[in-house]
Amino acid sequence: MSCDESQEKAKAEREERKGKRSLPIFGGAAQKNVDLEPRGVWRSMDERAGVLPSSAKGEFPAGASELEGVSRRGFMQVLGVSTAVATLGAACQKPNEKIVPFVRRPEEMTPGNAMHFATGYALEGYTSGLLVESHIGHPTKVEGNPSHPDTLGATTAFEQALILGLYDDDRAKQIRRSDKPIAWTTFLSETRARCLGFAGNGGAGLRFLTGPTTSPLLADLRRRILERFPRAKFVSYASVAGDGAVDGAKLAFGKPLVARNRLTQASVILSLDADFLNDGPEQTRLSREFSGRREPTRDMNRLYVVEPAMTVTGMTADHRLRLRGGDVPAFTAALCAMLAPKLPGLGALGTLAQGAPAWDQKWLSAVAADLERNRGRCLVVAGRRQPAVVHALVAALNSALENIGKTVEYGAPLTTDTNSGPEALRGLVEEIAAGVVETLVITADNPVYGGPVDFKLAQLFKRVPNVIYTALYEDETAGGCNYFIPAAHSLESWGDGRASDGVVTVIQPLIDPLWGGKTEADVLAAFVNEGDQGTHALLQKYWGSEAKLATAKGGAAFAAFDAVWERWLADGVVPDTGAGAEAGATINAQALAQAAGPLLAREGAARGNGIEVAFAPDPKVFDGRFANNAWLQELPQPVTKLTWDNAILLSPATAEKLSIETGDWLTVSIKQRAVDGPAMIVPGHADEAITLPLGYGRERTGHIGAQVGFNANAIRTSEAPWFDRGATVSVTGSKYRFAITQDHWTMAPDGREIPPPAVAAPLSEVLNPHSTLNEELEGRRGPQPYIHQPWDYSKQQYKWGMAIDLNKCTGCSACIVACQSENNIPVVGKDNTWRGREMHWLRVDRYFEGSPADPLVVTQPLGCVQCETAPCEYVCPVNATVHSDEGLNEMVYNRCIGTRYCSNNCPYKVRRFNFLNYTNDVSPARQMGMNPDVTVRSRGVMEKCTYCVQRIERKRIETRIQGRAIADGELLTACQQGCPTQAIVFGSLQDPSAKVSKAHADPRRYDLLHELATRPRTAYLARVRNLNPELAKVD
Amino acid sequence: MAAPEPAILPNDPLEPIPLIEGKHTDRTINDSLFDHVWRGPGKGWWMLFGCALSALGLLVIAITYTLYKGIGSWGNNIPVGWAFGIINFVWWIGIGHAGTLISAILLLFQQKWRTSINRFAEAMTLFAVICALLFPLLHTGRPWFAAYWLMPYPSVHRIWPQFKSPLTWDVFAVSTYFTISLLFWFLGLVPDLAALRDSSKSPTKRLIYGIFAMGWRGSGRHWAEYKWAYLLLAGLSTPLVLSVHTIVSFDFAVSVLPGWHTTIFPPYFVAGAVFSGFAMVLTWMLPAREFLGLKHVVTPKHLENMAKVMLVTGMMVTYGYVMEHFIAWYSGSEYEYSQFFRVRQHGPLAPIYWLMVTCNCVVPQLFWSKRCRTNLWVLWVASILINVGMWCERFTIVVISLHRDFLPSSWKNYSPTWVDITLFIGTIGLFSTLFLLFLKFVPAVAVTEVKELRHELAHDPTAEPAGETH
Amino acid sequence: MSAGHEDSGFVPRRFVIAEFATPEGLLAGTTKLREAGHKQLDTHTPMPIHGLEKALGLGRPMIPTIVLGGAIAGALIAYSMIYFCNVIDFPINVGNRPLHGPPANIPITFELAILLAGTSSFFGFFTLARLPRPYHPVFESEAFTRASIDGYFLSVELPAGGNADQVLADVRGAGAVGAELVLESER
Repeated sequence: MSCDESQEKAKAEREERKGKRSLPIFGGAAQKNVDLEPRGVWRSMDERAGVLPSSAKGEFPAGASELEGVSRRGFMQVLGVSTAVATLGAACQKPNEKIVPFVRRPEEMTPGNAMHFATGYALEGYTSGLLVESHIGHPTKVEGNPSHPDTLGATTAFEQALILGLYDDDRAKQIRRSDKPIAWTTFLSETRARCLGFAGNGGAGLRFLTGPTTSPLLADLRRRILERFPRAKFVSYASVAGDGAVDGAKLAFGKPLVARNRLTQASVILSLDADFLNDGPEQTRLSREFSGRREPTRDMNRLYVVEPAMTVTGMTADHRLRLRGGDVPAFTAALCAMLAPKLPGLGALGTLAQGAPAWDQKWLSAVAADLERNRGRCLVVAGRRQPAVVHALVAALNSALENIGKTVEYGAPLTTDTNSGPEALRGLVEEIAAGVVETLVITADNPVYGGPVDFKLAQLFKRVPNVIYTALYEDETAGGCNYFIPAAHSLESWGDGRASDGVVTVIQPLIDPLWGGKTEADVLAAFVNEGDQGTHALLQKYWGSEAKLATAKGGAAFAAFDAVWERWLADGVVPDTGAGAEAGATINAQALAQAAGPLLAREGAARGNGIEVAFAPDPKVFDGRFANNAWLQELPQPVTKLTWDNAILLSPATAEKLSIETGDWLTVSIKQRAVDGPAMIVPGHADEAITLPLGYGRERTGHIGAQVGFNANAIRTSEAPWFDRGATVSVTGSKYRFAITQDHWTMAPDGREIPPPAVAAPLSEVLNPHSTLNEELEGRRGPQPYIHQPWDYSKQQYKWGMAIDLNKCTGCSACIVACQSENNIPVVGKDNTWRGREMHWLRVDRYFEGSPADPLVVTQPLGCVQCETAPCEYVCPVNATVHSDEGLNEMVYNRCIGTRYCSNNCPYKVRRFNFLNYTNDVSPARQMGMNPDVTVRSRGVMEKCTYCVQRIERKRIETRIQGRAIADGELLTACQQGCPTQAIVFGSLQDPSAKVSKAHADPRRYDLLHELATRPRTAYLARVRNLNPELAKVD
Repeated sequence: MAAPEPAILPNDPLEPIPLIEGKHTDRTINDSLFDHVWRGPGKGWWMLFGCALSALGLLVIAITYTLYKGIGSWGNNIPVGWAFGIINFVWWIGIGHAGTLISAILLLFQQKWRTSINRFAEAMTLFAVICALLFPLLHTGRPWFAAYWLMPYPSVHRIWPQFKSPLTWDVFAVSTYFTISLLFWFLGLVPDLAALRDSSKSPTKRLIYGIFAMGWRGSGRHWAEYKWAYLLLAGLSTPLVLSVHTIVSFDFAVSVLPGWHTTIFPPYFVAGAVFSGFAMVLTWMLPAREFLGLKHVVTPKHLENMAKVMLVTGMMVTYGYVMEHFIAWYSGSEYEYSQFFRVRQHGPLAPIYWLMVTCNCVVPQLFWSKRCRTNLWVLWVASILINVGMWCERFTIVVISLHRDFLPSSWKNYSPTWVDITLFIGTIGLFSTLFLLFLKFVPAVAVTEVKELRHELAHDPTAEPAGETH
Repeated sequence: MSAGHEDSGFVPRRFVIAEFATPEGLLAGTTKLREAGHKQLDTHTPMPIHGLEKALGLGRPMIPTIVLGGAIAGALIAYSMIYFCNVIDFPINVGNRPLHGPPANIPITFELAILLAGTSSFFGFFTLARLPRPYHPVFESEAFTRASIDGYFLSVELPAGGNADQVLADVRGAGAVGAELVLESER
């Protein structure tokens, strides 16, 4: 329907007047957006708002402010006045529908008191359970939902950073047809008209490109759309999808299944290129289960990791084998071969091994023996990057090792589409090429950026007459589409979804869409003429009928739906929705062997020779969807500590062979495609291989993420989405400057002979009370001779202290983002990070030990350790940092004059200084996400970790009102609450039964820099490695 | 009228070179030493003054920018919380010390050769301290508060300064130092101002100098108290000058940082201060005596004596370095050891350390030879090198110690920004400006004292340090 | 002029100013005149001359006592201030250091002692010397401008009704190379 300009405007206005009635302030906001002034004006406003990437580019005049290092602090500088006003308005608007606070529902919120709402966040379709803190209608902090079986109260860094993403001023704000702003109703009516057109041919030209999803509602919508348009098709695609798992299960069990791992029973774990502690939908739960078995007793689990590049899981491993990703299938086959004699279940699979081993056979045999010894108590995990055959063999191994049902179970896939990889996309690509597709609805995350380069999606989509795309940002894909619909942020939207174990969470919004975003459900519903109902209505309708069905089946709980609904919202989980194991899934080893043979052969052929290129989802920006999140951009990468960039990772040996140094600008070319990027030498990387992290080099997004790093997708094809061989790496000669927060790999780069602060000792050493280790630890705790009379804390009710178990810490860095979110810690940008001015109160130190080629890693979270004899205090000339009665080393921001003497005299260097004005000019949108309990620090002021004193005081008030003392465990610091492995314990040392007191009494306890007699309140528990005696000599 | 006496020179076997050359009367001394004041500013002066002013302009720009942007406009970071700001502060304070030392200590020891250079040196002290005073304020994050929160005044905060902090000690030390130096300098100047008043031709000058001379009429009753007041100020300045740099050194010595945590700092800072101070005096004195016609009072003997002092203090500083390294090794502290034997000598900033060693330890050794001590060019170049060396010393102590401390995870490198460098150049501009003005308005030599000296020499051939007997 | 005086009842102070050729001459002359019983003697010289105190019969100088007082006051003020702030008024745990830490108090105590001693020396002198004093009758003499350059002068203030000629004769007798009588001018 081609209605002319004037009609269009009239429609828009009518709509807005309607909008005003329901949401007055938001209406005003939208008014601004659907502006009727001459276009010149509103384009300029737009540019100021940094919506158009053209202006985003302009944000960085080359080296303009390099000198004083304020460049790339961009996101504080760009701000469209118009949007600001709109934002403020919209923000104060609670969602109209009834959302229900966690646990109890207050009559009305008390300003100043936070409320917590259970909700969820879907990444790769799997929905984790979250608990979001909200102050007078502004969500300010994300926590894990303790009562969610798959999240267990912890979070990933991604989830912690959601807050910043929500308030991101760069998000798309305007529904548009090509580049003309239109109203939602306009879109709906036009879609309705279009659907009528389809009615004739049953939607032959209608295609949906969605991301993988587990949402029952979306599945239902899809069902109804397909009912209406039988010839329409849905395709699911995600740039980092690992179809190997499902296809592998198909091979092994004859039907698509997914593995659900349970580490509580696993004494021996072998990871084949699986970063299960920091990647994938299970990571939070697995981290918890893993650390639960990390206590240094005879019962401690043992982790073997086989991987090309160091990952969080690799850093945690007891034994790590660096192996090129393409060699993993052969390795798996060899493992089968080695185990076959002992495990009849493997049968013919023992014969698959071929080719000369590219690894240390001794290592393999030791692992095999260990697994075999621990039948039913071990687990083999394969990573998302591995091909089907590996997953199939792993399934066979687990079944032969009697692990199925104990440490792993195979169940039906929860995602609506089993496959979301390039192969799934290929069909659609061909259809488009053939010109079949007339209307393409894209709800998948930015396929143009993330899609296989050989599909040339950018050009293809241009061939589709009508492309409808919904996304959070005006991104690469948005460029080519006819209709663009700003997506609502997860914290703004209603929805539902399943966790990795099937449990359903109803996602409830914390706030009305700031910029009128729409949910995926809204967009799909438009095709069944329900786009105007709103997701909440759709949800209630769907679950209402579900409930009726259940009631019909005699489910008692579903009697009164409203009550039930409210309980679901309150708890954050829908009861009895967990998915079980697939019944009667058995492996036919013979058949598998038949099928696996050729596949392995093909892998072997693909292995070929030459340098291997490996692509990896990034632990900071994942597949690029978090690229515009400054918290994640500035978060030091767990292994390399790199910020604001990705790098071509390679091993020292390979670097030497190719005469490459860190910072060299390289050109990687493979199969007539090439990409440029800076090199970084990483210990523990497989030789003859390079790793390219995905998610960077974004062309179009907010101004934070645009032009950061290089785009590895440029050489990533549908044939080889993860590993490819035969790359040529050439040095261009120019140098690149990284912003790395920890330049030094080892504890003693200057050849010091002092013991590292984070010991990594074999279990045997720890268990033996007379071992040298225990003697050494003994010498590194307890009181030191000190000329002053130690302060008397015995009279105090509380004596705050912390203990960090390095044996549990995986270095995932979720705590850093949690701290940043809780304490309003500013982002300083790349140049300032390069200068060494990052503001993280909590950093995770990472030390390599042993050979650079194949090192051991220890990670050590380090915030202010609250020294009792704090060196920082007595040098402050104005009493701006002093001690509290309960032993906190307090920072009085408004008294600080910024001499920085305290930082100079801090042996741990955990103090941070506001060198520039990092906070006073944050956008009004961002301001709403600030934690109102924490002062926002001004320029020239020192700041540091305070053990989350604001939380202490809140809890103190709360408990005083109830006339009781703070119980152990009810007061959590932000880092502690976010930590998936519960490595951090906080509490009062006055209470001998408190967890923290016990930890302080632990034989593994030691104080960092104990020799300085600073009497830190934060104690560390030494890292323990559960070595396999057969391999003890190897590393 | 006083008959011109024959200047009885040379008269001292130990000091063969005369302190005042040629035959002089009070009048001739007076005229010759006032000459450069009465003589209008020449082309050379204007050129120098132009350069100085433009450098001063840079200072204004740098300060404005720093206040506008914040300390982020400097190169500082965590761990290098202090850099150019504190380096320049310590450097300038150090330079200031020679002045007080020359005028005070040499006065107490009745060193006759002091008279010709003390006015000059005292002025330098003042101006150097003014330059130094800029930095403690400027380097703070919030100078507008630092300006008065460091003072113990009863405020609504009900909070006081933290008197255990070396920075608080600094505030008292440096402000005291400045006040006392100023008073001392002015007191010494009063009789000369009177002389200027009485020998000035134009009524305006007469009026202006008259105001500053405060009606001085050389009364014997005044001289009686004056001599005591002056002597006591000198006596007070002596421990003061020692204490000031001691306290400045506490900023470092009191901390726990390897490379700072050192008991030898106080004495070796003081030695270093005198060292650099004398170097700076020479740097300015040599051209000054050339162009201001002071050759007859600032004789080669003075220059040689100063060279000797630099040799001695240079050796003391060297001893300080040696002891630092010895203790670092002897203490058995890994942190100390790696700081002194690895970071400083082989670290990324090692060149500055080695430049320091060359300029402060090697260059002064030239002064063993009399030929070097008396060769003006050698003296001048050496004095400049020593100033460079002393700046490098402060850089080594401040930055090199900070950028490699206990935990390697927090190690960072340091590089200054244009603001840092401009600030430094700017203070040199401020110093030069003040100095050139000083040369145009008051005599560069304490005329009264030279007259007194002339009489002493005239009447007391053996020139007993104890002074005159009648 | 004299008429004017009667009117306003202003009685100008009268000084005899005598110039001597050399410091020694001045010394001798001064001693002589004092022995001759002249009061209100003063000398004016470009630089201090040893022995003049004796010649003028001045007592012990007061400056040292004043300075000592200043020093003691400074030390007391400083130490008590620190003690009051840290121990009495605002006691707080700073890095586990004792509230009253004598060694840490030394620097400030010392500095303040010096400061007050120094200032009292400076201002003490100007108070004692009753300076600044823009006008003094002796400035009436033309020759006197040399007193700050190369002239050695002796001034005798005449008592009311004292005989100027007598004094002039005496100073000449005492070896003055020149002598004159100056009157305070009315201002």
